Amino acid sequence: MFSYIKKSKEMGILLILIVISVIISLFNSSFLTIGNLLDVVKSNIVLGMMAMGMLLVLLTGGIDVSVASIVAAVTVIIGRFMVDVSSNIFLIFLVGCLSGSLMGMINGLLIAKLKIPPIVATLGTMSVIFGLMLYLTNGTWITGIPQNFIDFGQITVGTFSIPGSEKTMGIPIQFFFFVFAALLTWFMLKYTVIGRGIYAIGGNKESAERIGMNADKINIFIYTYEGFLIGLAAVVHTSIMRQVDPNAFIGFELQVIAAVVLGGASVLGGYGTVFGTILGVSLFCVINNGLILMHIPVYWQKIVVGIVLISSISFDVIQKRMKEKKNVRVDIDEEASVSSRRSGAAGKADTAKLEQKA
Amino acid sequence: MAQKMLLKMQNVSKTFPGVKALKDINIEIEYGEIHALIGENGAGKSTLIKILSGVYQPDEGAEIYIEGTLQDTITPLDSLKNGIAVIYQDFSLFPNLSVAENIAMALRVEKTSPMVSWKETNRVAKQALGKLGLKIPLSTTLAELSVAKQQLVAIARALVNDAKLIVMDEPTSSLSRSEVESLFSIIRNLKNQGISILFISHKLDELFAISDRFSILRDGKYIGTFSEDELDDDRLISLMVGRKIEYTVFKKRKIDDIIFEAKHLSKEGNFKDISFSLSRGEIVGLTGLVGAGRSELAQAIFGLDPFDSGELFLNGKQIQIDSPEHAVQNGISYIPENRLTEGLILKKPMDENICITILPKISDKRGLIIQEKKNQLVDTWINKMQIRPKIPQMIASKLSGGNQQRVVLSKWLATDPKILIVDEPTNGIDIGAKADIHKLLRNLAENGMGIIVISSELPEVLAIADRVLVMRRGRIAASFHGEDLTQEDIMNQAL
Repeated sequence: MFSYIKKSKEMGILLILIVISVIISLFNSSFLTIGNLLDVVKSNIVLGMMAMGMLLVLLTGGIDVSVASIVAAVTVIIGRFMVDVSSNIFLIFLVGCLSGSLMGMINGLLIAKLKIPPIVATLGTMSVIFGLMLYLTNGTWITGIPQNFIDFGQITVGTFSIPGSEKTMGIPIQFFFFVFAALLTWFMLKYTVIGRGIYAIGGNKESAERIGMNADKINIFIYTYEGFLIGLAAVVHTSIMRQVDPNAFIGFELQVIAAVVLGGASVLGGYGTVFGTILGVSLFCVINNGLILMHIPVYWQKIVVGIVLISSISFDVIQKRMKEKKNVRVDIDEEASVSSRRSGAAGKADTAKLEQKA
Repeated sequence: MAQKMLLKMQNVSKTFPGVKALKDINIEIEYGEIHALIGENGAGKSTLIKILSGVYQPDEGAEIYIEGTLQDTITPLDSLKNGIAVIYQDFSLFPNLSVAENIAMALRVEKTSPMVSWKETNRVAKQALGKLGLKIPLSTTLAELSVAKQQLVAIARALVNDAKLIVMDEPTSSLSRSEVESLFSIIRNLKNQGISILFISHKLDELFAISDRFSILRDGKYIGTFSEDELDDDRLISLMVGRKIEYTVFKKRKIDDIIFEAKHLSKEGNFKDISFSLSRGEIVGLTGLVGAGRSELAQAIFGLDPFDSGELFLNGKQIQIDSPEHAVQNGISYIPENRLTEGLILKKPMDENICITILPKISDKRGLIIQEKKNQLVDTWINKMQIRPKIPQMIASKLSGGNQQRVVLSKWLATDPKILIVDEPTNGIDIGAKADIHKLLRNLAENGMGIIVISSELPEVLAIADRVLVMRRGRIAASFHGEDLTQEDIMNQAL
């Protein structure tokens, strides 16, 4: 892993992360405390998990704007499931992951089989899912989450004492779901043929198909896998919040995309890593948290997210265009003379020289 | 047959709707042979390669034998399994992946295991590069390599699949002289290992330097296969060219009333030291092979992709062109390839199509169109270009092909250019419509416009141009007066 930290974008992102952290802690000493950091981690686990799925989508040059609607829908589904049907934790996870995967798969099928551009397909599913959800729930919250699920969500590992107070904190169990999602995605991308295929398609789709890769299959897989992680994230989210708000995720897709792009993934496809995405998510949370700690109004967060998104995407696009411009299109004959022939007969040419008389 | 052939193609034809791209091709390739495939632009070389690689299926009746076995159908995967590897001009590599992965990727897809072994990947890549005698760091990202190195990676990848025949499409087009030399020594090395190469190039010196035998295509027809000592440049060129001239040949004029001059135009990687002049009423044909820099030159003059150094003169005064807007203001119009046939808004009426380029001219201060001006202008063009029927409200798609082209021309001419540059004006249209466009262009010239016609079709250039400029590898190789000019003369300079 160290070999590519050295040379790539990730090193730069890490540097920015450190610099921003230092600046924020200068303004507010409570930033770099274990208590605050654990809070930041806990409140961004869902973002981190969903970023892993989005990374795959961006790697192929696609985009998914339906992630917020899917995660919201899954929270509603499992909310109703645990209130009305069963509070078995295993079953709750199963239902969450299955329903997430199913919705993701619908996106994948639309994109791979009907060849609808990802942005259009996922905009459509987003609208349908949000609409259906509001119709079914009327926007009302689901409360009365079973106690065993709440207890499960409060499990922590290890203890850290908080300086200046009697309280101790541990690493929340939800964090391990994020670690699982990141490791799984990393392993899949690095050690499976389908994972390398995702990079190949993002790098040059035509070439990938020429050597017999099935881009459709890979696309369906990606969106289904993404749906699976979103489903998992929805359960994790519910275990943190202990209630379900159908409107909790409106606008969240932008944050997920921004975090992944911040982590060095290119919206043009082909470039991006799990490690970079983790850095991107961290950077994103630190900026958000920093803005709060510095008492900067919330709407600035949105402005910052937008600017960050546009500037990092512009960087990619401009870089690509520069590269294309530099491409040599014609092999220029460096010696001005018409090169020697195996047999003479330059014929009736007045030759270029005559033209240059002026 | 004394020796079993590696590849034997018999009666291979390919028909696309309306066009017969290949007619009865018969080509045989021996083991360990470097075989050149030669032909003008559009002679059918790419179609033939695509049949070999399984991208296209040939017409009924074709027989393709690989190592003596008749192939029913060839899919891209069959072709790879049969040991035929095509290295396209774009190399088909993955810029974002490492050298090792690029080389081993195809092998991974063939194996059924869902897991990737990096050890195996590196071993395979090392072995393939070893066969070529190359040392490229395996972990380097492909995009960081030079074009020449990328090509070697593409060749190495072909070897991984146990290629018996490697097809190289214009492999030297973006290599320097010394890089070409090292590529050739690698090709000879492959030949010694019994691998055959089908080599496509336009550079005669290179072809003669490396090839054992030459197969020539012309107009989709197989002309013959020749060994090296049966050919020289002139013989080869006379076999390549010689498409029939089916157009009216206009009388060539000598005009010396210069309106436009380009001096020493250069653009890195596109063209170098280009100087030429254009007279009022003259048609200059700009020809050469695809990739010689013709369109790049036209686009630079039009300001789409400005040149690095050089000067332009209009009526003796130096002009500065940094954008298409400047060009149009200076009376220069450029009609890109296919625009004559595709530059029409088919669902809109003729009058709206004609006016679209000059809306500001027929609008008032608030930006609203003045109907009177518009009607007047449309009538003028309908009469000038003899568009039939004379109904401005006629929907463009209902017009005949020839009249559609007149509408498109009107639209560009309405900007009142003094100089018109048309890029491949008759690409892909039938002969009658071509002759129609030739006549139109000639008429415009006779009315005083200077016209540059970029075309790869030699008969067309010979038919309409008063003077012919031949570009070759980014330079103007020759300038001919049109009288008594032959296709051989032009090809001699273009290659």
